[in-house]
Amino acid sequence: MGREELKKDYETLEIPPDSSLRDVHNAYLRLKKLYSEDSIAMAPLGEEFSDKKRKKVLEQIEEAYAKILASRKGDSARPSPLFSDVPPPEKGSDLGNPEGPYSGPLLRKLRERQGVELGEISKELKLRVELLRALEEERFEALPEPIYLKVHLRNYAAFLRLDPILVTEDYLKRVKAWKERPGPPA
Amino acid sequence: MSQTIKPREGEIWAVGGGKGGTGKTFFTSSTGMHLAKKGRNVVLVDMDIGGANLHSFFGINRPLKSLTSFFEMGASLSDLVAETNQPGISLITGDVHSIASDKITFSQKLKLFRQIMKLNAQNVIIDLGAGSHNNTLDTFLIADKMVVVLVPEVIAIENMYHFIKNSLFRKVKKTLKDYGFKEIVQHIWDRRESYGITNLRELIDYLKESFSYIGTILDHELASFRIHLVLNMARTNQDILLGASIKSVMRKYLGVPILYSGYIEYNDAVWKSVRERKPFMIHYNSTECAKEIEIIIDNIVKGRDIAIGGA
Repeated sequence: MGREELKKDYETLEIPPDSSLRDVHNAYLRLKKLYSEDSIAMAPLGEEFSDKKRKKVLEQIEEAYAKILASRKGDSARPSPLFSDVPPPEKGSDLGNPEGPYSGPLLRKLRERQGVELGEISKELKLRVELLRALEEERFEALPEPIYLKVHLRNYAAFLRLDPILVTEDYLKRVKAWKERPGPPA
Repeated sequence: MSQTIKPREGEIWAVGGGKGGTGKTFFTSSTGMHLAKKGRNVVLVDMDIGGANLHSFFGINRPLKSLTSFFEMGASLSDLVAETNQPGISLITGDVHSIASDKITFSQKLKLFRQIMKLNAQNVIIDLGAGSHNNTLDTFLIADKMVVVLVPEVIAIENMYHFIKNSLFRKVKKTLKDYGFKEIVQHIWDRRESYGITNLRELIDYLKESFSYIGTILDHELASFRIHLVLNMARTNQDILLGASIKSVMRKYLGVPILYSGYIEYNDAVWKSVRERKPFMIHYNSTECAKEIEIIIDNIVKGRDIAIGGA
């Protein structure tokens, strides 16, 4: 099934048909969360957007997601689906990020802004939540050696559609500064 | 449509959203500043009937001319355009005295719209003020760029939905009026329960299904119904995400495309600038807030929106 035929399903997930697999997944998670929980975005509509309709919307989201995933089965034949499917971030795609270098707290902020839970990243990247938490809290002593850390950072960045190169560069600089700080390492 | 609108060089923006105090006037004045800075020739129109205060954002205490002259003395709109202390920005001051919105007659309204469209400016930016009065909605509907300013609070969201819903309903009625369907639309809506209709989207779908040729007309007319959403006074990431949620809900509930143009983080400097009567975009131009506003305006100009996690 071509992407054009799935137009309606992409519309349901509110993304263009040329979206990356990552975007499809993120859109699905975000919408599922929005329509399964109470939100002040919906509360004022009351019965005009009843629980019954909400349920129907959720069903449509599930169906659209399943259909799109099925249509993209062939995609995963590529060596690293995570990277190959992530387009280079457009300027401003991470909200313009005027907040300076990618530090742990900034990464956390950007992740939360997208409504992504650590558990989701952990599942996808097969990394312990504890490690991800240490990364965001900049508990550098709990992190693996830079050579391994680099891979994790790139995957983490790609998951959030941030620029993997910039994120890795910025973050490793911070690790380096920590290592070179005066005094014996902890 | 019975009235054909000549292609204009100038573009009309209308800034509304239902609730008062969300920052519409602040955003209108900031938009004027930013577009003027980029070399555009801008006229701001204060249509906040009964609560006009756009002039005070430009340090004008007692405006010499205002829309009152238009409504009460039949003055022409172009004669009411006054220079401000900012280069490139002129202003039509709102009615600060007596006129009540429902006192404006139908022919006055049409005359006003005609003259707004003829204003000599590259951008006309209309501050609509609060509320969802029919005159406010009609003014909103003449705009090329329909902008709503929201703060992350339940009541503001409720008012905004009401505002957008009523604008859309008015647009549907107006469109179909020319095809003799106006009464039918209201008739079906008033008896919506027996038709199994609970919201406007379902009404539109019902009309399309029942009268197939209406479908084409509606699709065509409603294609231009696009809202640019500005989220003001965001304090948390949760607040910022709200814009994306509203975008989705509006789409699924009303079928209305919304562009999330951006957010403005809460900043005391805004409040300060208003109190000091100093234009924010000039005196606080290095703040994060001012940069966010510039991004939003550029997004509105280009019809873009910000991406949030697959939004």
